[in-house]
Amino acid sequence: MNVLVKNIVRFVIILLIQVLILNKISLQWWSQPTGFPVFVPYLYPLFILLLPFETPVALVLVAGFLCGISVDAFMNTAGMHAFAMVLIAYFRINVLNAIMPKNLTEYAGQSPSVKNMGWLPFLVYVAFMIVMHHIAFFTLELWSLGNIGYLLLKILASGLTSILMILAYVLLFTNPTGYKRSQSSY
Amino acid sequence: MQGNDIMSSANLLIAGIYQQQDDVAYYFALRNMNDSLLNENIRLREQLAAYSEVDTLYDSTAAYIKPIDSTHFVKYADYTYRSAKVINKSVNAVNNYITINRGEKDGVRKNMAVVSSTGVVGRVVHTSAHFASAISVLSKKQAVSAGLKDGTVGHVTWAGYNPSELVMNDVPQQIRVNIGDSVFTTEYSFFPPNVLVGTVTKKEMNESKNLQVLYIKPATDFRRVQYVYVVENLMTEEKNNLENNMNQ
Repeated sequence: MNVLVKNIVRFVIILLIQVLILNKISLQWWSQPTGFPVFVPYLYPLFILLLPFETPVALVLVAGFLCGISVDAFMNTAGMHAFAMVLIAYFRINVLNAIMPKNLTEYAGQSPSVKNMGWLPFLVYVAFMIVMHHIAFFTLELWSLGNIGYLLLKILASGLTSILMILAYVLLFTNPTGYKRSQSSY
Repeated sequence: MQGNDIMSSANLLIAGIYQQQDDVAYYFALRNMNDSLLNENIRLREQLAAYSEVDTLYDSTAAYIKPIDSTHFVKYADYTYRSAKVINKSVNAVNNYITINRGEKDGVRKNMAVVSSTGVVGRVVHTSAHFASAISVLSKKQAVSAGLKDGTVGHVTWAGYNPSELVMNDVPQQIRVNIGDSVFTTEYSFFPPNVLVGTVTKKEMNESKNLQVLYIKPATDFRRVQYVYVVENLMTEEKNNLENNMNQ
């Protein structure tokens, strides 16, 4: 499938999973008696993470902004998700350059995946970007360092579940080992 | 629709998606909804019963019904209630919103109060033709003027952490508050007066200021709220005009 169409379809799928399923999860038994922060996992940064290696930085920034502002519209957050997304979109190329052994131009036509990165580098890549996204987003949302323990707890809880969700998505909807199907789907 | 309304969940496309989802999902919460409506009916019937002083069903020989005394003055209806279905809600953010399926064409305007069958919910902030989104009282941006039974007035805010805990700061220390006391909206807020905000679950004394801090469990379960009423205050415009003219 055309790489543009593929990414647009993936964008829509990820966005719908985020707003229709993940945003509805708020565990009452977990947060009610203990005062543990109510959090939701954020799957949608995966859209930026899985863009092809050779995507120009400017295009990644625009895609990140559009993805973030769409999520913002669903959640009435007025640009906070867009900010965090543009931030990680800007640093994506640096993180990839640091992690990948070869020059990025040698991965023509490929997207970051377990297949061409290996499990550990892929996990490091996902974790780094997610943590950066969450720190930016939750700091902006809370907008005070008065209760920094709460902020860190929320970043940690949401970040761990986000990474789990992203791994689940990668295992379900892409072909991590490249077995049988060389072209990974969404 | 204007400005930031487009990038809100009142947007036709976004609210349409939420509406589709809610059409499927709301069957699973019908039991809760029935219970809350039944409780509301009981409350309203009790209020109604307060107006009829003789129970003619219990005592049909009651010879006379006390006429309404002359000091009783007629109060014109100040508020119009419109029902709306909640199609999306959140409790996990710092400012939480609900999306409802009534909009400008149904008479919903910005800054109208939103209440549920059990208590306060929030204030309308974005509107489109057929949908609106309201900021709930579980928001740092949104404070509510609230009072206790004895007339003590204060502000109820959300600390931003626990969706089942609102905070009422700066209650004078001589006011006696019991656990379980109800907190109502006052006439100073955009809400109609005497709508239940919640019940006191915990109180603390702020020793440095000699003021009490009350922790309040909200009357509305924001995770489960299904139907709400949008309240239009018919006197808002007149009141605002008067107040603005006074300042000139």
